[in-house]
Amino acid sequence: MSATLRQFRRKADKAITDERLQNAIENAAERFVEGRITALSSVPDVGEMRDHFKEIRDATISDLATHLITFEKNAQEAGAKVHWARNGKEAVQIIADLAKRHGVELVVKSKSMATEEIQLNSALIQQGITPVETDLGEWIIQLAGEPPSHIIAPAIHKTKEQVADLFQEHSGEEIPADISALTAEARRVLREKFLSAGMGISGANIGVAETGSAVIVTNEGNGRMVTSLPPIHVVVMGIEKVAPTWDEVAVWLSLLARSATGQPLSIYTNVITGPAHPEDVDGPDEVHIILLDNNRSRFLGTKYQEVLQCVRCGACLNICPVYRKAGGHAYGSPYSGPIGAVINPLLFGLEKYNGLPQASSLCGACLEVCPARIDLPRMLLALREDEVNRRILPWRDRVMERLAASVLLHPWLFDCLVRLVGKMRLTKVIQPFIKVKMPPLAGRSYRQLWRRGGGE
Amino acid sequence: MINARKEILKQLSSKSRKTKRPSPWRSRHESENLQKRFSLALENVKGEIYLASDLEEVLSILGDVLLELNAKKIVVSDEKPFRDIDFSARFPEVEWHVVGKSNGNLRDFCNSADVGITSADVALAETGSVVVSSGPGRSRAASLLSPVHIVILPNSKLLPDIFTWTANRGDDIPSQVVIISGPSKTADIEQTLVVGVHGPKRFIVILYSD
Amino acid sequence: MCSLYTCPLVVLQLQYADMGLDNNNSNQVALFVTCLVDQIYPEIGLAATRVLKGAGFEVDFPEGQTCCGQPFYNSGFVKEARRLAKRTIEIFRNYPAIVLPSGSCTTMIRKEYVHLFEKDSNWHQEAVALAKKTFELTEFLTKSGGLEIKNPARNGLVTYHDSCHMSRSLGIKEQPRELLKQAGFQIVEMQAVDRCCGFGGLFSMRMPEVSQAMTEEKLLRAKQTKAPILVSSDPGCLLQMRSNQKDPSTVQIKHIAEVLDEVIG
Repeated sequence: MSATLRQFRRKADKAITDERLQNAIENAAERFVEGRITALSSVPDVGEMRDHFKEIRDATISDLATHLITFEKNAQEAGAKVHWARNGKEAVQIIADLAKRHGVELVVKSKSMATEEIQLNSALIQQGITPVETDLGEWIIQLAGEPPSHIIAPAIHKTKEQVADLFQEHSGEEIPADISALTAEARRVLREKFLSAGMGISGANIGVAETGSAVIVTNEGNGRMVTSLPPIHVVVMGIEKVAPTWDEVAVWLSLLARSATGQPLSIYTNVITGPAHPEDVDGPDEVHIILLDNNRSRFLGTKYQEVLQCVRCGACLNICPVYRKAGGHAYGSPYSGPIGAVINPLLFGLEKYNGLPQASSLCGACLEVCPARIDLPRMLLALREDEVNRRILPWRDRVMERLAASVLLHPWLFDCLVRLVGKMRLTKVIQPFIKVKMPPLAGRSYRQLWRRGGGE
Repeated sequence: MINARKEILKQLSSKSRKTKRPSPWRSRHESENLQKRFSLALENVKGEIYLASDLEEVLSILGDVLLELNAKKIVVSDEKPFRDIDFSARFPEVEWHVVGKSNGNLRDFCNSADVGITSADVALAETGSVVVSSGPGRSRAASLLSPVHIVILPNSKLLPDIFTWTANRGDDIPSQVVIISGPSKTADIEQTLVVGVHGPKRFIVILYSD
Repeated sequence: MCSLYTCPLVVLQLQYADMGLDNNNSNQVALFVTCLVDQIYPEIGLAATRVLKGAGFEVDFPEGQTCCGQPFYNSGFVKEARRLAKRTIEIFRNYPAIVLPSGSCTTMIRKEYVHLFEKDSNWHQEAVALAKKTFELTEFLTKSGGLEIKNPARNGLVTYHDSCHMSRSLGIKEQPRELLKQAGFQIVEMQAVDRCCGFGGLFSMRMPEVSQAMTEEKLLRAKQTKAPILVSSDPGCLLQMRSNQKDPSTVQIKHIAEVLDEVIG
């Protein structure tokens, strides 16, 4: 998985020329954008709340070790087992070992970006375990063998006809391309999986240190099924997702669904604290929480630390004019849009993802909508600087820019050179080497005109 | 695995810095008209609301609803305020399973039931939500597997918003707490809203004065 | 003998004071035309000069000027940007006010120079001082209030594009609209009025497919307003939109300085 400049441009171009996809992205994004504005407008003092949220996230990230230790202690007291994974490989192995120990063959999963990040599904399949996605959008792309194209709505690129074909292929029976019928089919097929799976795997939107709880939000109810029906429940959570207290969780939840889909709260906000109590009538026998690092700890104390405040709401995707044209697949990772442009190089390597810091006009719309006020444009600038300093930017670009800067330090040289290019019609010569139409150079520059007539 | 924990914490602690934490955000919603605000918010998320003056009226409304649903199999939790009600006697045409009391496999029953009836810890007016938790006499599956979930709740349990709830949470926490804000839904296919996915398709709340 | 409050020099003195500037009894402004205007659209520079003069200011063009450094800053060439920023500070530091017909270059000087000099307290101080007296054209004209429209447009329709820097970085949205109304135009707002036009400096060259798709959308939204004139306060946006216009006869794309220049008479 990667997204070099060339790869991004190629995939983006494919998306741009796909009119149906463009309409789908535009409709989805616009719906989320309008929903967010309406939902936030009903929150008293919402601007102040976002400032507050930024402060508490910053304070938490700055002292992550303390809060993770508290989380671990309280989770263990509640009967959960807490595991630590430095990278995806370790996390996958913990899950696979657990599954093997309990003879688990079928796993049901609720939507989790962290598990996509570590490519859990393909790793489990290799070890003879069958993972089934249960979020409707995720199940669709699992059947299609494709990556998600949006953090919140992974299958926005699929038509109902395409979905009907997928379901038909899977079940062998004909299903009408009717959205209600397709949803009912998903309910039918997946209900059976929920009830027979040996293990349920979820992510966690929030890990509450105060009580050692995992908060999992869904609209479909699959999050509740996955965490209540199978005998073993595994949570995979990025270490940055911890909130110290329930007061802070209330702020987080007040902003999360509103920023993501325009709902005041997701339909189900599910709080899991350890396995079933002895007096509970149902619930899992075991709860395992895997705290995933996977390069997150590396950005602490750096200019990129702020990016750990992200709550994965997708608001930046919906407003980003680049994302809306290029689509999610161009980013070469489950994380797309502005947040993807920043964290993919950080998590997976700037060399592999060198196209992403360039995939922005720095318009600043993402900063405006981020509930945690993460300065994504500044992070992109920092990544671009890294690309220059680490010579990831091609040498031609570096030479041209340094040359241009030198010329601009000498006004007479600047004017002369540009006039020369114009007079000798060198624009026609240079044009084939530059991808965009060369700007029309004026006959006389302003400074020439000023010298002649004082700007009259 | 011990190495992983040690290494991660070492990496994190080395860059740790204590910053000032702002004081907690407190609720900025008023406490008046909770019933009205709750009803509006619930209907906004496609939930259904009935108002009763007492528990007796609740049962009358329930009867009408069950008739409309043509409900034949119902699971009900064993909790206040309806712990002492003999549902089988009251609605003999229906097959009832009382959590923790009736015989037979609870999960199978829930999976084939038409309705699940529970109470709730509290209700949140701002978002039209109810908070349901696990515990003795309460089943996670009861409010989840059947196509209809009915919540019976006294007005005294209404709170303004989530901040009021978290501020007064108390020390113990059940193994599961779920804040339910409507019937299950999705818009994953072509951004078209469909109500009723994996969880209940209908979410009904009956509030009564206590 | 003019009374104290109508004497032009005194009025200007009051204006400068209102803006928190110390002008030492001069009505001078320095015009920083920007490299794009200098070499590609000098007519915008001429229009801006005339408009500022019309508003009662003495306009100087310090000839040492070239580039504010933004293209280099935005592509990660911080050292180069710093060098150009220092030059800019040196050239403009002694003027009472600096005016630019460009939201993006104004943003660079006002908001980003301080970041360039975070580690150098002397230059940082200079950057802060310069920022205080650097204005975008419409902002300056509105603050100083001296613009006289002698030849207003007769309710002609225009649509106005809020560039990223003007709207999100500087918060200057009302001033250009007020000036357009003062000039006698009727503004028809387009959908997604503050969505990026696709220029983004070098972005338009590094990601031309996405950039052009964004511009096509912007031009379509402008066309949908049916206004014959599309106005922008940023030469970069102008360049991008004009270059991607398939049929220039459908909509005239103008800089606000050009529009105002036509109506000051």
